[in-house]
Amino acid sequence: MFEAKNITKTFNGEGGETVVLNGADLLVDSGRFVSIVGRSGSGKTTFLNIMSTLLAPDSGQLVYRGEDITHASRARLNELRRRDFAVIFQFHHLLPYLTARENVLLPYMQGLGPVTAEVRKRADACLDRVGLSGKGGKLPGHLSGGEQQRVAIARALVKESAILFADEPTGNLDKATGEAIMQLLADLKEDGLSIVMVTHDNEYAARADCTVSMAEGRVAA
Amino acid sequence: MNILTIPLRNTRRKWVKTLLLLLVFTLGVTSIVSLNYVSSVVGGSLEKKLSAYGANILIMPKSEKLTVSYGGFALGDMALGVHDLGEAEVADRVAHINLKERIAVVAPKLVTMAKAGDTAVGVVGVRFDREKVLKGYWAVDGAFPTADNGVLAGAKAAASLGLAPGSELTLNGTPVRVAGVLKSTGSDDDSVLFAGMDFAQAHFGKPGRVSFVEVAALCAGCPIDEIVAELRTALPGTDIQALQSIVKQRMYSVDFVKRLILTVSVVILFIACCMVGVTMLASVNERIKEIGLMRSLGFSRGGVFAIFCFEAVLIGLVAGAAGYAGGYALSLKVLALLDMAADAALTFNPAHMALTGLFIVTVSVLSAFLPAWKAASVEPSEALIAL
Repeated sequence: MFEAKNITKTFNGEGGETVVLNGADLLVDSGRFVSIVGRSGSGKTTFLNIMSTLLAPDSGQLVYRGEDITHASRARLNELRRRDFAVIFQFHHLLPYLTARENVLLPYMQGLGPVTAEVRKRADACLDRVGLSGKGGKLPGHLSGGEQQRVAIARALVKESAILFADEPTGNLDKATGEAIMQLLADLKEDGLSIVMVTHDNEYAARADCTVSMAEGRVAA
Repeated sequence: MNILTIPLRNTRRKWVKTLLLLLVFTLGVTSIVSLNYVSSVVGGSLEKKLSAYGANILIMPKSEKLTVSYGGFALGDMALGVHDLGEAEVADRVAHINLKERIAVVAPKLVTMAKAGDTAVGVVGVRFDREKVLKGYWAVDGAFPTADNGVLAGAKAAASLGLAPGSELTLNGTPVRVAGVLKSTGSDDDSVLFAGMDFAQAHFGKPGRVSFVEVAALCAGCPIDEIVAELRTALPGTDIQALQSIVKQRMYSVDFVKRLILTVSVVILFIACCMVGVTMLASVNERIKEIGLMRSLGFSRGGVFAIFCFEAVLIGLVAGAAGYAGGYALSLKVLALLDMAADAALTFNPAHMALTGLFIVTVSVLSAFLPAWKAASVEPSEALIAL
């Protein structure tokens, strides 16, 4: 379903060039849950950002459902981010002036068609799905960290994405909340969602169908 | 709910900042609108007052001059083919030109010579009501004539004929009474007697005829040449001259006021635009994470650009409407304070308000253009560093 082949990425900083990815590969089959682990600085977040099209690779190839999207146009990349790919971050970024429901509906505010009553109903269903029944009208500031992360996951669910890229989704949460989020991801995988998760927590990584380890800019195993 | 929900909610969330920005922008628009209203009234009033300092167009019969000399003896210039103008005809044609609204006064003159007792004196037949408007600088000892046989004596003429207010004399044998004596003006007016036009036409055998006509035209918004051209078309067979120096002097005064107001308006508008631009730029820098998030969700560059531009549209709309209303109210107050409210025919014009609003919205969007462009240019990867 999704394949990253021989991806390289070098950053130019004050200290000179830093090779972050040096031929990283990954294959994600439909409905699979893949976790990426590795030490800090191993390049796992950069790799995730490249796979989710948020960052362009220096070389290599990204193939999604048979389509080479490595050099896709801006419009095509926007389309992929809008419909097929969903990203959740460690700091579960939500727009603070929109309610939880409106944050979930954010992908519909440009390009995914009008926010109809049916779409609103689906947003509420997604909030129910992540355990936030009745909290759709609350602003993010009135929700806990775990609840905010759930809103971010609901935002990924509402547009019925094919792949969820999760960058340390439990990194900023306490153990119990992190556990709940992991359970939610496992449930979503059971529903057919493909998930690629970067984590430094081996215990959470082990919940995935497949765990790969990164070192020195490559997928080691 | 759509993309515009984002700027709407953001302006509501940051209501203090939005309110301050609106206040500054509204004050700017209020100042500009009131300055322009007041300047148009003051400019018009100034021009009307300036028109009391003489004519700027002369309508004369066409004539040919012939310089005659014989045997080395110069006989001087002789005017050929001089015909007096018909007063009613000239007045009627002037009243029907396209730019008739720019004509402030039409003052006909009938110039002739008469004998005051045994002394020759120039007599000018005038319409005193129009002369008073045209020559607001005249100061009279006594009063303007009201009776048919009343005359006004120029300062030099009065001195040479020994006239004072109330004096009586004869003009070609007809008794007249001096109603007033002009104080010295330093012009040709000092050397003649002014009589009522009807009296002069009847007494000198030229009923309905005038020698020339002085016209005072208001020239703001139209060049004097256009009025002259229209008069030439309307009055063929006449010689029409614009007194350019007078026109230029008058226009300079009016233009100076207008240029000053325009400069102040541009400065105010520029400062208000800078405020919008700087605030927007700060907003873009502050919201870089939000922009990154939106871009990661598939928002296009155009979408992000629209979000920031719409904020500028909102600010421009509210500031334009409130500023126009405020400017209108303020100009009424200022004109009342300047004691010019009676001259001001100010009416609240919704179309003018809509145009002002449109202009302010455009200016506001242009001010926000660069910040919005910067926001639209943010790549998700750049924002990831902030994330």
